[in-house]
Amino acid sequence: MNELLSALAAAFPDFIDAETPDPSGPMVPASQHIAFATFLKERGFTRDVTVVGSHWPAADEDSVGEYEVGTVLRQPQPGSFPFMWRVRIAMTDTVPTLFPLFAGADLQEREQFDLVGVQFGDHPDLRRLMLPEDWEGHPLHKDYAIDTPHAPWR
Amino acid sequence: MTTRPNPHLDIDNYDADADLMALNMGPQHPSTHGVMRIKLFLDGEVIIKAVPYPGYLHRGVEKLCEKLTFVQIFPIVDKHDYVAPMTNEQAMAVAFERTLGIEVPRRARYLRTILAELTRISSHLLWLGTFTLDIGGTIGGGASMMMYTFRERELILDCFEMLTGSRFHYNTHCVGGNRHEIPDGWVAVVKSIVATMKLRVPEYEQLCTGNEIFNMRSQGVGVISRDLALELGLSGPNLRASGVDHDLRRDQPFHAYDEVDVQVAVAQGGDCFARYQVRIAEFYESIRIVESLIDNIPEGPLSSQRPVKSTLAVKVKTGCHYHGIETPRGELGTYIIGGGDNKSASPYRLKIVPPSLHAMSALPYALVGHTVSDVVAILGSLDPIMGEVDR
Repeated sequence: MNELLSALAAAFPDFIDAETPDPSGPMVPASQHIAFATFLKERGFTRDVTVVGSHWPAADEDSVGEYEVGTVLRQPQPGSFPFMWRVRIAMTDTVPTLFPLFAGADLQEREQFDLVGVQFGDHPDLRRLMLPEDWEGHPLHKDYAIDTPHAPWR
Repeated sequence: MTTRPNPHLDIDNYDADADLMALNMGPQHPSTHGVMRIKLFLDGEVIIKAVPYPGYLHRGVEKLCEKLTFVQIFPIVDKHDYVAPMTNEQAMAVAFERTLGIEVPRRARYLRTILAELTRISSHLLWLGTFTLDIGGTIGGGASMMMYTFRERELILDCFEMLTGSRFHYNTHCVGGNRHEIPDGWVAVVKSIVATMKLRVPEYEQLCTGNEIFNMRSQGVGVISRDLALELGLSGPNLRASGVDHDLRRDQPFHAYDEVDVQVAVAQGGDCFARYQVRIAEFYESIRIVESLIDNIPEGPLSSQRPVKSTLAVKVKTGCHYHGIETPRGELGTYIIGGGDNKSASPYRLKIVPPSLHAMSALPYALVGHTVSDVVAILGSLDPIMGEVDR
């Protein structure tokens, strides 16, 4: 873990701090998302574990709120540990897709688009995965109450 | 950049003279293991594109978890992977315990390991029964194997009922340990199950491995290469059948696996037969692990925590945490963002990372080039459980 962090700090000095690592995983700018994943994949983190989106509503009326996209990769070998990092974007922006690097990101990102609403740029087939195509809204938004009205059956 | 087949083939610009047909398989096909739909694009009888449509069992569990507290989440996670409910609870318990740094007593860790391995046996039994039924590979057109495996699965469910009082929705794990004390005579029951399984597994193997139809329908069908399996994020037997020597029981031990020597079963073929070989080898491995632990269950408390009196007892204040354990289907992970409602006693966001969803994403790659009759074989061998995919 420490070796990996110092290698990351050498390659991405702008946002990786090897001295005091964030236990929740480093915050990576969206522009560096692909480069960061490529770097990790070349260092043995070849197994795509998951993509997790979460919604952070705006504190005041002037801003639009944020999405946070966490990505977890793992080394398929003894002593393996999951490595995760996060990307924060405004709700109007997009995160570049990891599909060219990890085939499993296809369905993972579609699920996060469906439930959370994160837009993944350049995704080849960004459709809803779980909910029907004509569903309105994204259920894991913090302002989407469990009793939000919608057509309940079809 | 790797070279892999394109799952998003443009059908509109496909060969105009081809004999194209779109075929919906499911949602109520008997071999879809739950309710799912695969849209197959056929050129003659050969599949050129396959699009999975999950979501028929979506129950919004992740949204529910944001309103429930950590203590209240355990009863509902039983319903995800309804073939192996015990390991769902364990994944949740291990994730919360590791996040909060809570120790689990050695007695509970031994009990959890035994329960996990028995669950693995019962889950693989159901898989073997339905898989051979799907491809009709054993005597009697396959149905006889299903009867045999369900006969043995019944023994394991009875043994869980003896411990927890229910056959499926146990709610026996909690943060810090287990809820139900081992009853008198339970150890003897487990020993008799293990002794029975030791006799039965070679019989299953004889029925399948020696059967020509079974071999022809599974060998060389649905090959997933090593690199593609990793990129897809496959885990568990599906990953090991593609030649990757990776098992969280050995590579990142949880429960009492650090005290057992886990022999990881690996096969090189990457086809349906390799996935069958890995699961059969895991039968023997699970039997061995249970045998080595059942006589040595240490004395002591079953939980390191006091009995919970308030639903607000467990709190994760801040941060993102990911922890995964090896279930019969692969790595079942839990991603927690702390600091939610009910004064941090609920997660801000809880994502369950199901191994079955990764197995589903292998379908567009594994199905292309095969005929319609191979779809059930490939789908069956990947062993996705729809309750877990949709949540």
